[in-house]
Parts: sequence; C-alpha cells; structure tokens
Amino acid sequence: MAAFLVRRLLQMFLVTIVAAICSYSLLYISPGGPIETLLAEKQNGGANRIDQSDIQRVIERFELDINLPIRFSRWLIGWPNGPIFGSFGADWVVGCTTPGKVRLRYPDGRTEIVEEGCENTLTLAELEGRKASRGVAFGDFGESQVILRGRPVTDLIGSRLFYTLYLMGGAVGLALLIGVPIGVYSAVKQYSRFDYTMTSIAFVGSSLPSFVFGIFAILILSVLAKQAGLPYLPSGDAVGVRDYVIPLLGTITAGSFFDRFLRFLMPCGVLTFINIAGWSRFVRTSMLEVLSQDYVRTARAKGVKESAVVLKHALRNSLIPFVTLLAGVLATLFGGALITETVFNWPGLGRLYIDALSRSDYNVANALLLINVVLLLIGILITDILYTVVDPRIRLG
Amino acid sequence: MTMSTFSKRSIAGLMLLGMIIPALAACGGAPAAAPIKETVVVVQTAPPEVQTVVVAPTADANATAAPEATAEPTVSEAFSTPHPILGDVKVRQAIAYCSNRPEMIASVYPFLSTEEQASLLMDTNVPKGHWAEATDGITTYPFDAEKGMALLDEAGWKDDGSGVRANEAGDPLSLSFTTTNAQFRQTWSAVFIQQMAACGIQIIPTYAPASWWFGNSTGLRHRDFELGAYAWVGEPDPKGQTLYACNQIPLPSNGWEGQNYMGWCNEKASQAILAANNTLDRAERIKQYAIFEQEFTKDMVSLPLFNRTEAAAASNNVEGFKPNATEYYTANIGEWKLKSGDTVVLGFTQEPSSLWGTIESSASQRIPAFLISSVSFTKYDYDYQAVDLKQLPKLDNGGATNTDIEVKAGDKVWNTDGEPVDLAPGVKVVNAAGETVTYESGTVTMKQLAVTFEYNEGIKWEDGQPLVKADFELANKIDCDPESGAQDYTICKSTAKVDFLSDTSYTVTYLPGVQWPEYFIYAIGAYPAHQVLSDGRKLADVPAKEWQTLTEITEKPLSTGPYVIDSWVKGQSMTFSANPNYYKGAPAISKVVIKFIADTNQAVAQLLTGEVDVLGNETLGGGAEVQQVLEAAKKGDLQAFTIASPTWEHIDMNMFVK
Repeated sequence: MAAFLVRRLLQMFLVTIVAAICSYSLLYISPGGPIETLLAEKQNGGANRIDQSDIQRVIERFELDINLPIRFSRWLIGWPNGPIFGSFGADWVVGCTTPGKVRLRYPDGRTEIVEEGCENTLTLAELEGRKASRGVAFGDFGESQVILRGRPVTDLIGSRLFYTLYLMGGAVGLALLIGVPIGVYSAVKQYSRFDYTMTSIAFVGSSLPSFVFGIFAILILSVLAKQAGLPYLPSGDAVGVRDYVIPLLGTITAGSFFDRFLRFLMPCGVLTFINIAGWSRFVRTSMLEVLSQDYVRTARAKGVKESAVVLKHALRNSLIPFVTLLAGVLATLFGGALITETVFNWPGLGRLYIDALSRSDYNVANALLLINVVLLLIGILITDILYTVVDPRIRLG
Repeated sequence: MTMSTFSKRSIAGLMLLGMIIPALAACGGAPAAAPIKETVVVVQTAPPEVQTVVVAPTADANATAAPEATAEPTVSEAFSTPHPILGDVKVRQAIAYCSNRPEMIASVYPFLSTEEQASLLMDTNVPKGHWAEATDGITTYPFDAEKGMALLDEAGWKDDGSGVRANEAGDPLSLSFTTTNAQFRQTWSAVFIQQMAACGIQIIPTYAPASWWFGNSTGLRHRDFELGAYAWVGEPDPKGQTLYACNQIPLPSNGWEGQNYMGWCNEKASQAILAANNTLDRAERIKQYAIFEQEFTKDMVSLPLFNRTEAAAASNNVEGFKPNATEYYTANIGEWKLKSGDTVVLGFTQEPSSLWGTIESSASQRIPAFLISSVSFTKYDYDYQAVDLKQLPKLDNGGATNTDIEVKAGDKVWNTDGEPVDLAPGVKVVNAAGETVTYESGTVTMKQLAVTFEYNEGIKWEDGQPLVKADFELANKIDCDPESGAQDYTICKSTAKVDFLSDTSYTVTYLPGVQWPEYFIYAIGAYPAHQVLSDGRKLADVPAKEWQTLTEITEKPLSTGPYVIDSWVKGQSMTFSANPNYYKGAPAISKVVIKFIADTNQAVAQLLTGEVDVLGNETLGGGAEVQQVLEAAKKGDLQAFTIASPTWEHIDMNMFVK
C-alpha cells in the first residue's frame, strides 16, 4: 500500500505538471486577448489614441513579453525574478519587449512589412523589480489581471468557493441518495412499470442540456407562477437584496435562511435531476450485470434473504464501476457547474471561470484549471483506495 | 493478427503522410526568388497626418450615379489592381439599389413596429439625428431592383437567363461575402443574399469566427474580403479620418496601418474628412462632414445598413428613467423617484474590475460611477451638456482660447505624428494657418489652445469637506503618472501646463499644435486629497502605482455624487445609499442596489418577477429576450424603451484585389 501510494503520488506530480503546462500554454496561445483588443484600438485617431508605449505597459502587466517557458516557471514556482547567478547571466535574454519589423522587398517590386525577430529584448536583470507571485506551487496564485485587477486571485476564489461548495455538495449528495436506490430498484424490478418510468425520465434528463432545464424551470416555477399569482421560486442568485412577498408564504426577508433556501432549490434541483438521470442508469446497468452472475444465483439458491442478496452480494459488487464514475466528483464540487451557475446567476466558481476566460484573466483561469486538475487526481486516488473497501479482493501495490 | 498489424501500420503511415503533406505544401509555396529584407525602425504609431485643409464647396454635390469619380489610390503594388467587379461604381451602386434594407431590419428585429424599423435605416456613415448628419446633397439608395439591374446592364453584366449575370467574357457576377458567425449577422445576411440573387448577383458567404475576421493579422485587417460586413460605433465626435482618408489604406507595404479597408481614395472626401476632424469650429465641421457624406454616398464604397436596436426597461414603480443611445442611464439617477418603496435595484451584466475610472472605463464602471461622482458633463443624443460645470468651455463662450504664438527651436510642441517633441530642424508641425510645415530655423507661428473649466459652487465630498484646489491637483498628478495603470496618456502628454486658479476652476493649456476637436470635455477629475487611509497615510501621499490596489479608491471611493457606496459583495451586488452631503440635495430614492447578472434570460426573469427594477440597454441588448420584455410592456406590466444603438452595420466593398 505504501509503495502504491508513493508511486501514485509521484505519477500525480508528473501529471499535474504536464497538465499545468498544457492548460497554461493553451490559454496563452488561444486567439484574442488584451493585446489584440488594444491593437484594434491603436488604429483609432484622436485624443484617446493608443501608442506603442501604452501597448508596452499592458504587455508587461500580463507578462506577455516574457518567453512562455520562463513565464510558466514564474507562475509555477515564482522563479526567476532577477539574475540567477548574480552578475553572471544577468544579460540572458528571456523575452522580447518590442517585436522587430522587417520590410521585405520582393524582386517584382512589391514591399511588405512583417514582424520578425526582436527590436528590444528583455534580459534576466530586467525582471528584477517586477511584481511576481511566490508561485502556485507555494499556494500563491498571483494577482487577478482583469476581474479584480491587482488583487489576489485567492480573494476572488475565496469569495465564490462557499457558494459552489454548498450548491454542488447539495446536488451531488442528493443525487447519490436518490439516484443509487432508483438504479438498484430499477434493476431488481427490471421491466416493471417503475423501471420504464425511471428509464424514460432518465433519458429526458441525460439528453436535454442543463441550460434548457434551467430556463424551463425559471419560466415555469418563477415567471409564470408569479404571473399566475401562485407561490413561486426566486429565479436566481444565492441571496436576495430586498424583501419580497410570496403568496401563501408571506414576506421573505432578504438574506434570511429561508430566502437562501428558496434560491438554492432550483439550481440544486436541476443539477440533482441531471446527476440522478445519469447515475441511476449506470447503477441499474451495473446491478443487472451482477444480478445475473452465478454467485448471486448461488446465494439465492442457498436461501439467503432477497434483501441481503441485493444489498450485500449484488450492490457491493456493482458499485465498483460506479465508484470509478465518482472520481470526478471532488473536482466537480470545486469546479462548479459552469452552465447552471450562469443560468441561475449563482455566484460560484463555474461562473467565475467563464468570466475569467471571456475577459482574458489568465491568472484566475489558470488557478481554477490547476486546482481542478489536482482535485481530479486526488479524486482518482481516493477512488483507487475505495476499490479496496468496496471489493476486498482488490489489492493495491 | 496479421490483419491487425497491417492496419495499424497503414494507419501510422497515413498519419505520417498527413503530417508530411502540409509541410511539403508549405515548402512548395515559397516564392522562387527570396525577398530582400530591410530592418524597419519601430516607431510610435503615427496617427493620421494632422492637417487642416480648407476645401472649396462643391458645385454639384447632389449627383446621382456619377460615373467613376473615384481616384486611383497612390499605391503601386499589392491591392493596386482594381477589383474586376467592385472597381466599377455602377456595380457598387447596383448592389445598394438591390438591397432592401428595411427587409433586413425586419428579419432581425421583428418585434419592432414598421416605423421603429424605418428609424434604424442609415443613409450615411453618421447615425440619424447626429449633429454631423448631412441630409442635403447625399445620394440615397432606396430599394429599387429595377434601377439596380439597369445599372448592372450598363456596366456590362448581362442576364443570360441562368440566374447569375455574366460579362462578355463569360465571367459570372459572383462575389464573396465575409462576416462573423454571429447569429444576428447570419440572419440579415441570408436576406441580403436572396436580394442579390434576385438582381442576378451571386453571393458566396463566409461566416468566420470573430477572432479571424477581426484578428490582428487576418481577415479585415489584411483586407481579405470582397464584400465584408461588420459594425462601427457612432460617437458624439464622428471622427472618420482613420476610416476614410486616402492615407489610411492598409497595405502590406505600410504594415497594414489604417482602417480604410475598402481602399477608397477620393481626394475631395479625404480632404473634407481631414478638415472635419481637425477644426475646432462646429459650423465648419458640419460643412466638411456634409461634403464628405456626399462623396461617400455617391461613390458607394461602403453600404450603411442600419443602426442596431437595443432595449431598456424599468418597472412601473420607477419614474425618471431616461435611457439614451449615447449616455448611460444612471447619468440622471439623482432625479429618479419611486412610486412606492425606498430601494431601486438595477440589473447589470458585468461586474466592474474597479470603481477607479482611470484604470477601468467600461460601462461596468461608468454606470456605478454616475452614482458616486460629480459629473462634469453628460453626452445625451450624440452631443454634450454641462452638468457640474458652469458651462462647456468653448471658444464661442469665452471658456477657451486658441491663440497664435511664436515658437522657436527647443520649445516643446505637438508634432504631426501626435507626439510632444522639442522643436528642432526637421520636425513637422501644423502652423497657425493650418499648413503642415517642416521646421528649419527661426520662429513659426502655431495655435495654442487653453481651456478653463469652471465648476458649480458648493460641491462637497460625502464627509462634508468641500472640493478644493488640492483635489484637482492630486487628480492631475495621479492620472498623468505613467505608473497609475491608465490605458493611455495622450491628453496628459499633449498638456503644456495646468493652472489651478481657485477651488472651482483651472485652466488647461495645451502644447502649441494641439487642436483636439472636443477640447471642452477633457476635464481633470478630483480626488479627496484630505482623505486619511485605513493605514494612517494621507491619500495625497500615496504613490500612483499603489492606487490601483487601494480599497479607498477601487472599492469604496469617497463620493461627490448623489449616492455613497455602502458595500460591494464580489460577484453579487453593490449597495449605495443617498448622500446627505450631495451639493444638489439628497436624491429622492434612498437606496440603490446594482446586481450583477451575467445571463440576459436570468436578468429578464428577475425583471418580470420584480427582483430587479431596471435593466439598461447594455444588459438587455437587442436579442430574442427583448420580445418578452416588449410584450410585458404592452400589457402594462413594465415600461420598455427601444433605442437606436450607436452601433451600425454596414457592408464594405473592397475596391482592389490583392
């Protein structure tokens, strides 16, 4: 077990680094970004014209003048932030502040100006004095570049984490509590009316995207219900900003427990429903496979009680593939539900991630991606350990 | 087993081939003779040459279907061959006549009444109702397919019965049409394509990702189109020099500088737009813009389609809500009233990164900023109105002067590249007569602009302290500090000095040669120099580079406006309460909450369920959600407004081929 853990942790470390390199580079090489926007504005004339020095400042703020590997290293471990070996190597080039331009004169007389090479290089010595984080490896995710400009990314994540955890925790917990028994019961009572009903519902749940559910839920339970004078649910947010009246329930005080509970119901309901739809089918299939095994027939033949056959002999064995499915739950708890949070205006990390991507806040997006990778890997590790609990025949090592 | 090995191998082989072929193709495409490389000195981007050119009024301004009035652009390399189809003004005009723009508008805004749809139609590059909009002498193109087809016949594009016209050589009248893949554009484009087909013009559309179409070295910027559709945003100052002047044609040889993507060079129009952009006299500007618009519509190089529409809505409980195309709706929030209750909730699509206007100037900052800061001026209806200023300081009301001064070698001046430089031999400047001259020696007479901003008496900070001279001084110092984090410092760089005259007035004197057409709006802000921060320091002593992370500036700035900020819950809302020390008296509504709602559907649901009271046009937009809001308004559940947005769609016609 110890050897297994050491090996797995080592693997996890490597996978994390590779994933970080991939996500970090992909974010930066994707088109768009702050400079693209500025270059478009550079074309404007007039009093708010952008010039090269304005672009230079933004490039420096986003560290886009530093070569990607060096930038990545500064982000990961906060190094290098100046000359490495004192005066030796202080003039090593680590980036380019102004790209070079060359005019190509073709034999047929055409000319063309293209970017090539570097006009002004950036040396290690010039990195000194620049703002740098201690590195994400040491828990410093740097500063938000756009969304909360100049302030720590951890502040931003901190302000959203609680909301995501309680929405996702509630939804995942409920889905497990409801989905697994439904799956088991459907398998045991295969082709019963219950099974058919659940199968139909599950198909609907797994084939419709979450935003469709979300919008329908808002329309029916919120907008139309309110217009019809019926009790309704608030359409979004995690907490109200002013008191409101709901028929039969009376005045709801903004910020009260009840207010928060009412707002939690719809997003949680949608997420729970979608999870149940998927998971109950999974448990059902896996249960059916186990129920047809010889050892189940043997147990029944021995005269073991049906409930014991189902719960002890069949369920435990059928859960092995299901546990694999749950590996991602830890990451999901943190990552939030991107679409559902947006549809219900839930102030969670999923919405923050979308915001960070659309506004080119690289540090925030990278932080969320990295945390997700780490949590996913931890989830997989826990799953592997859980296998031994669910199935004692499995030995790690 | 053998089979599987074989198939794996062949798959690997195919993959390898797949990788090699593009590489070979790339190599094979290289020109036979390598170009000669020359290093280009990277300079500050030069703005269009600033020169005031007086253009004599034209005698025949109202010509219709003028034959080939377009001059050849002054290039002799790429983009020097006129486009075989679009190089002909008759074809361009035919496209305009064959376009039934009201039909296109109806396709994207079916929820508007016919009159409202008609009000969106544009005839020139200036939105309707704008002070610079010309109505006389411009060529208009009402839908007239017959006329369009007659022009095509004249141009030699005959209908041979196949549905697509062709010339004598048998080339089909077929054009590519490029725009973004936004659903909105695809919708009206489909209508446009049908209309062209009805006239015998074949359109081959490309709906490209915006990142390619507007990319820095792709699509529009490299003039990679025949017909290209996108939008410009109208402003109180119509500008236009970078879009239509002859020296603003992007070419490979000039590093693709400029936005005249059509490659249109009409000397008369070019001189008029230069003159209109570089004079301070409004009457003269109107005259020059009119000349420009006449040429622009006559040559038909870019077909203006329509202003986009946006909607704004408020609950019936709110009085005084006044959405406008060019001003944010909170500009008059101090005058709003509620029929019942004491709190108004505004829904807003994006959270600001900071409340400090120096580093964040988007709508997300401007809307809350109107609550907590005194407002020098507003810009309703494409124009400016003084609010906390006694008047907009203009030349004709004595608030500004534009005097002739003699400058000599060594004096700091504003050169034609839009940079502050010491006058020395070889420096190009614009002299007092409006001519571009190269300085050699002696003295040269230049214009020097000085503008005096005078504020209303009695403006106070929320703590009751009056606004004083030191507050303006601090703002001038910080906002012009290169470490403040502002996007640009053009105004600061063009300023020679600021004289702080009293607690309510100061004079900004610009460098000789600076002639900003909107000189009367560049007021300096004010920061509370007396404020003591939580760490015990005085705000005035904090260096500029720290300001963007100061909570007292970015999140809880001291207010001079009708409201003060109470709290800002990140990702959720901001809460403001009435400022008892507001110099115009506390506002009628005692509490304002701004909620951040990223999703428009959710915002509309909150409006309909009464959770929010107001959705501005920047949040509600012009999408499908608007219909639901307008229907609710029709039933009397809320008040809704549709606004002709300053953003306008148009189709550019590239007059040259690569």
